[in-house]
Amino acid sequence: MPVVIDHLLSKVEKPARYTGNEMNSTTKNFDEAEVSFAFCFPDTYEVAMSHLGMKILYGILNDLPYAICERVCMPWVDMRTEMLKTGTPLFSLESHHALHEFDIIGFTLQYEMSYTNILDMLHMGGVKVKSADRAEGDPIVVAGGPCAFNPEPLHQFIDAFMIGDGEEVIVELTDVIRQGRKENLPRREILRRLAKLEGVYVPCLYQDAYNPDGTLKSLTPIDDAAPAVVHKRIFTDMDKAYCPTKPPVPYMQVIFDRIMLEIMRGCTRGCRFCQAGMLYRPVRERSVDKLVQLAKESVENTGYEEISLSSLSSSDYSHIAELTERLTDELGDKRVSLSLPSLRVDKFVQDTLSQTQRVKKSSLTFAPEAGTQRLRDVINKGVTEADLVNTLHHAFMNGWSGVKLYFMTGLPTETDEDLLGIAELAKAAAGAYYSVPKGQRVKGLRITCSASVFIPKPFTPFQWCAQDRPEEVKRKQFMVKDAFAPLKSAHFIYHDSAVSRMEACFAVGDRRMSDVLYRAWELGCLLDGWMEYFRYDLWLQAFQDCGLDVDFYAHRERSLDEVLPWDHIDAYISKSFLKREYEKSLRAETTRDCREGCNGCGLQVLKGVCKGCE
Amino acid sequence: MMLAFEKGQEVRFIGHLDLMRTIQRALRRSHLPIKYSNGFNPHIRLSFAAPLSVGVAGKREMMEVPVEEGTTPQEFMDKLNAVLPACLRMVSARPISDDFPTLMSLMAGSVYSIHLPRNEKTDLAVSRFDDFMALKEYVAIRRTKSGENPCDIRPFIQDGHVETREDSHVIHLTTIATPKEGGLKPTLWLRCLFEFAGAEAVEATIFREWMLARNQQGDLIHMEDYQHA
Ligand code: SF4
Repeated sequence: MPVVIDHLLSKVEKPARYTGNEMNSTTKNFDEAEVSFAFCFPDTYEVAMSHLGMKILYGILNDLPYAICERVCMPWVDMRTEMLKTGTPLFSLESHHALHEFDIIGFTLQYEMSYTNILDMLHMGGVKVKSADRAEGDPIVVAGGPCAFNPEPLHQFIDAFMIGDGEEVIVELTDVIRQGRKENLPRREILRRLAKLEGVYVPCLYQDAYNPDGTLKSLTPIDDAAPAVVHKRIFTDMDKAYCPTKPPVPYMQVIFDRIMLEIMRGCTRGCRFCQAGMLYRPVRERSVDKLVQLAKESVENTGYEEISLSSLSSSDYSHIAELTERLTDELGDKRVSLSLPSLRVDKFVQDTLSQTQRVKKSSLTFAPEAGTQRLRDVINKGVTEADLVNTLHHAFMNGWSGVKLYFMTGLPTETDEDLLGIAELAKAAAGAYYSVPKGQRVKGLRITCSASVFIPKPFTPFQWCAQDRPEEVKRKQFMVKDAFAPLKSAHFIYHDSAVSRMEACFAVGDRRMSDVLYRAWELGCLLDGWMEYFRYDLWLQAFQDCGLDVDFYAHRERSLDEVLPWDHIDAYISKSFLKREYEKSLRAETTRDCREGCNGCGLQVLKGVCKGCE
Repeated sequence: MMLAFEKGQEVRFIGHLDLMRTIQRALRRSHLPIKYSNGFNPHIRLSFAAPLSVGVAGKREMMEVPVEEGTTPQEFMDKLNAVLPACLRMVSARPISDDFPTLMSLMAGSVYSIHLPRNEKTDLAVSRFDDFMALKEYVAIRRTKSGENPCDIRPFIQDGHVETREDSHVIHLTTIATPKEGGLKPTLWLRCLFEFAGAEAVEATIFREWMLARNQQGDLIHMEDYQHA
């Protein structure tokens, strides 16, 4: 039975968040589908609809003749209040069915601070929040996405995790559940069958044990259906990978309101702090021909006026010049503009710059990440100050006058000198601007330097590192802020250390963190990714109530032989590689880009998967 | 090309700018010969007679699209409907000359139907309908960007009547708009009726049935029938 929401809509801000019916959204019949999948994004509609992964999996599932996939987003505070007041359950955008009516509920895990929303969405949707409380016929709750690589903080709530590329495993999983329902299998048996799929982790089939000092002793299978190690899934042929060329087109403006063309997956750089760079290995590119075809189809099906090339490092795409040229040619007369996000400082083709400008002047952002060459070597960010200055000089020549630079504070081995280097780099950027003759540059130089707090992430060489303590974070932030005071056209903004602290706890947390999560949600934590709703006091109380210590998770350096909560997940990045990288980082030694030769990250054991190591 | 389109109930909460963007994107998908504006960022210049208030559905909303030669009204509607979501439909089309007045300048009024479920509150409100319509003046508080303004709503009302069905009341209301003062929101009018009757307000389903213009004689006619001298 569809949920009626009409009487709530006039009471809330932006009702278009809840009404669906967008062009290209599915119009399949809910009751006729053999299996129904609620694709849940644990954030608001605007964030959800800006996400490429959701569009891919939504398309794949709805292409299956026997399945229906509908979208569910986190309602904003005002709507949530109205729903609670009227006893309205959380519903899907398409057919407005309550969450508990679906066979499968799937969450995408993009950032740790969305975890309380997951609990709340389940609860609002009439689904038992904890797996252990779910009854035989209740929906099976699954999750995937980058945060699934350390699934433990969510192990009490999610029945099965999908690790790695989702496009194949999501279909296999949906099939197993459809089959299981048909055969009337007990829930436990369905979960056991899921555990046998490559890339699926079913946490209830494993048991954890701890050492006296509180560190993890082991996390091992307690059921013969469960493998000791779960390997991530990799989809190798990008030209065969599904591309959502007919995604729903939102009515209201969302964050990325344009076609996102995934030109490649993975990154060869090997930045040591970057989890995505490790998790999405190996690099897999789509061919130029395929991309041009996909771009045309997307324009045809959506009417969007802008395409952006999406990947971790678009300027590394081997045929970037050819691609931008051909897309500009093909799309220019269709009045579609092209933008290139995530441009990198080092290899920034001059051609590309002028190409982009011919079509559209997108904002200019760079991520040097650290203020000195020494520290950039530590994190293996192959960018020099000269690179940055050159590129900026060129950009300022071509009509740009604003630039954003991203940094991190609290990186391993960081000194005050490294931090002051951020201001020095801002000065160098200003220098690049003033080196352009007055008549040629656009007035109004703006340099924005923004610093986030380093968070150790699983499957990176820095996974053993401690995060700075809050006092230290503050001291560093103020010091840099002071160094910016004399700079006229540059300013420094920084992230809140409290949120980063919680993020670290979940990023590297073990099973016990799920108690903290549950308690925090009980206390009222919600929408923690939105600064105005983040309740640090409640989070600290949740830790206290659970008898756990923030320091233990966020600010403790781990020994290299400690059992890590994600050791039973295999991302094909070997521990020996990570250790080697970590040790090199302490000596400020860099590692070459994979395109210059294989660095033996572990992936080479899979023959023919990584092109770089052949 | 002058078009009338339906904005269905499903999308009655889509704001005017969002609706405009949706139609622009549909026009891009349609491959119809649309005239684009000149300039660095060419776009389709749509003009609407008057935006619909958020929450109200429209049966025949009026819009103008600049087109090049080479298409017929029927083809235009068909191609556009093929690329619009089912809740947005073109229902009539007519080519107009370059010197045709802007739809906005033609806007003279609207016909609404206001559907209320039958219950004590709505029975009471409806029972006072005739008295309410007989008033010479009714001052309502209009909330605008510049604050709360008292405003006499009576001059905006042309006429109306109530049709009572088994489980609902349908109020048919014709309002007057002028380019200078704009129109009256049906939701505001309804709030005033409830207030006047001393009944607690009830949520209604509202449709704009027609948009009106004045012919050469000054009579109210359906805008889509307007003939330019
Ligand atoms: S296998 Fe070699 S080339 Fe491929 S990602 Fe790993 S280190 Fe790089």
